[in-house]
Amino acid sequence: MSGLGYTVPAVLAVLAVGALEFTALRTGLFRRPAYWVSMLIVVGFQILVDGWLTKLSAPVVVYDDRQTTGIRFPFDIPIEDFLFGFALVTAVLLLWERQRERR
Amino acid sequence: MDHWQYLIVLGACLAITLPLEIFRPGVYRQAWRATRAVLPVAAVFVLWDEVAICAHVWRYSRAYITGVTIPFQMPIEEVLFFLVIPLCALLTYNAVSAMLVRFNRR
Repeated sequence: MSGLGYTVPAVLAVLAVGALEFTALRTGLFRRPAYWVSMLIVVGFQILVDGWLTKLSAPVVVYDDRQTTGIRFPFDIPIEDFLFGFALVTAVLLLWERQRERR
Repeated sequence: MDHWQYLIVLGACLAITLPLEIFRPGVYRQAWRATRAVLPVAAVFVLWDEVAICAHVWRYSRAYITGVTIPFQMPIEEVLFFLVIPLCALLTYNAVSAMLVRFNRR
């Protein structure tokens, strides 16, 4: 834990997605119950898939521990992955919703 | 077989979420809308991934990937990840939205 080359960008990505919605897109996605229910389901499956990809016994993805907080939960998932996943999925849903409004 | 592991995981994600397309209005049935939601975000995340790989923030076990890469050192699996996972998320959102509409009508 020194560079935080994953932690810092992951936090910034979440902030950027929030800023995108609240300053530019204003889709109202965060007020939709369907969004939050979907995110719960997505996180549930992320734990399975990401848990497989990051398991320390036979990892598909190998992280430099100096670039993360070192906190890995649940299983061996670096907690930064949840920020990464949140930003990725939310950004896509925002662009999806934006196209609904144009109609 | 091990070299296919990451690809198989992504294939499984697509297979498991495919039935969700039965809910209207669907994601694959709005291919252009899905493309315009997924590709811009994928482009940003591919760039982030490239920088992280070059900076040795993370890497991929050669044992579990096919070895096919795009410039500069990015496994093709990781590129596909940024298409597959967003599609799964859109299918989930599509299905949940349809179910909530049905539930609220009762």
